[in-house]
Amino acid sequence: MSILLVEDDQDLATGLLEALRKEGLAINHVATGKDALHVIAAETPDIVILDLGLPDMDGLAVLKQLRKQQSELPVLLLTARDSLGDKIAGLDSGADDYLPKPFEMAELLARLRALGRRTGTAKTNVIGIGDVSLDTASQAVLVKGELAELPRREYMLLKVLMENAGRVQTRDSLENKLYSWGEEVASNALEVHIHHLRKKLGSDFIATVRGVGYTVKAS
Amino acid sequence: MSSIRRFLVVVLLATITLINFLAALHGYRTSMAKAEQLFDAQLVDISEVLAVTAGGPAVDQYLTGGMNNGSAHSIAFQVWRGGVLEASSGVAVADSPEPIAPLSEGYADVNFGSYRWRAYSHYDVADQRWLIVAQRADVRYTLADSIILESVLPIIMGLPLAGLLIWVIVGRGLAPLSNLASEMGSKRSDDMSPVSNNEPPQELAVLIESINDLLGRLEASFEREKRFAADAAHELRTPISVLKVQLHNLLRDADSDTTQLSLLQAAVERMGHSVEQVLMLYRTTPEQFAASFVQLDLAGLARQVIAELYPRLEARQQQIELLADKAPMQGDAFAIRTLLTNLIENAIKYSGAGGEIKVLVECASAGVKLTVEDSGPGIPADQYDKVFQRFYRLSSDRQGAAIPGSGIGLAIVQHVAEIHGATISLGGSGFATGLAVTVTFPNTALTKQGHTQLC
Repeated sequence: MSILLVEDDQDLATGLLEALRKEGLAINHVATGKDALHVIAAETPDIVILDLGLPDMDGLAVLKQLRKQQSELPVLLLTARDSLGDKIAGLDSGADDYLPKPFEMAELLARLRALGRRTGTAKTNVIGIGDVSLDTASQAVLVKGELAELPRREYMLLKVLMENAGRVQTRDSLENKLYSWGEEVASNALEVHIHHLRKKLGSDFIATVRGVGYTVKAS
Repeated sequence: MSSIRRFLVVVLLATITLINFLAALHGYRTSMAKAEQLFDAQLVDISEVLAVTAGGPAVDQYLTGGMNNGSAHSIAFQVWRGGVLEASSGVAVADSPEPIAPLSEGYADVNFGSYRWRAYSHYDVADQRWLIVAQRADVRYTLADSIILESVLPIIMGLPLAGLLIWVIVGRGLAPLSNLASEMGSKRSDDMSPVSNNEPPQELAVLIESINDLLGRLEASFEREKRFAADAAHELRTPISVLKVQLHNLLRDADSDTTQLSLLQAAVERMGHSVEQVLMLYRTTPEQFAASFVQLDLAGLARQVIAELYPRLEARQQQIELLADKAPMQGDAFAIRTLLTNLIENAIKYSGAGGEIKVLVECASAGVKLTVEDSGPGIPADQYDKVFQRFYRLSSDRQGAAIPGSGIGLAIVQHVAEIHGATISLGGSGFATGLAVTVTFPNTALTKQGHTQLC
């Protein structure tokens, strides 16, 4: 998986280059928006990590220009701006994810893995947690080595939970991901799916955070 | 409180009174002198009448008829010829063997018959006799006095009227000032727009100009500070990111003993947290904060914040529970998230390993009520007030080990509450020990912008 890091802070870039290379990722670094657009046009990476505070042009402008040529290229925004407005502006401009500084390295790696899986550029498409492994390419789920039959929504639900292992997914966000806009959702639909998943994966695999949502513990 | 209007009225009235008094005093003295002259002239007149009639009823008649009524008894005359009293007025000196005044030409002030008199003596050469006409001094004085008093009295009587007029006129004159004061008074704390300047009197024009100038500079300075906060955020967050990334690299490469690195990592975490808290405290300062109120669901926000903080709960093996009604309210999403984050972070911090936290969102009649309870050691009731002070930390011996923190979390909570007109109360939690923080967002805030949807 090749990554282009667009970051003007040399210290941060150095640290990130080292960290990501150790994860076995091929990473290039540029410090300006102009260089970034140039490099992307010449040799398109799999993922772009884009800092919003660039010296020559605004990160969002870079993103918009980039989107004109590469509508599918996954972009992860990295920024010291943190207001909700900035976040919305970033995602509206076509960013795939958004990580505010200061971030945890583990968080950045998890986001990159998720982006890689989404675009099929990850080294492996398999997420394994405990006895359960989920292949995002073949959409197969193995429990203790045996194939588990999951209907589409249960699979999507499990994928979201496993991709975000260690974090809680709120009921609202899960419902948004499972059902399209305007679709009628029974008030206990989510509970029913979770109930079925627990029967197939073991009752402890998915934990409930009362009143909030569900989580899969990171292994 | 001192009032310009009251001051002006009192001072002007006092000035008018003083000047009137001085004028009256002067008038009194000149009038008195004039009256003296008049009375003296009258004595001469009488003396001339006396010379013609040489006493007798004609004079008495003149005295009673010609003079002001009632004052006749105060006039006396004598006619002396060769030491013999030929005639006299019948009033006071009928049988007097003595002349009233010394027998010398001209005026004299004399005592006679227990009164003070003003006398005029004249030697009638033709008839070789002394004519003495005298008037009682006290009567003269009373007469003059009453004449003068009658002219001064209207001035004194007019003073209350003058006071009333001054009160009204001063009020009128000060109206632009009180208009300005009420305009300034009704200004919102974050309203830096210039005060209206429609043709003020020239004395106020300068003041209004200075106020507008000051407001302009204040606005610029607020703007600068806001930009500073944004710049500072960027300048501080990036190096902290560098520290975190490099620590991650170090930990990855470390052979076995990572105790010191873990300590370093904890310190970086703490520094990062403090920086965020200080920035947040700064950003949520009610004077600074440009709140954009939208309809939001407190329960949904609480869910998101708990989900974000969950890894930290998990690390401490703490249990959290959210009991939430749907709670629609008007609020600033960023500020409310900050409030929730700080309250729940505090609960996480103080509950310790294996602790329990309960978050309640209720729709009460008073408004949307948010309660965060923890199973930590709690706060003694007498320290409830103090914990809202910036950088106030509880004496951490109660917790056994010092709990790191910046001591400004509750100050931020208070800022956000203030922005929303919410009230904060502290109390004991439903657990065996622990603190319950309740924030009540009033229903009035919901209706303020025309939203009638109450919870």
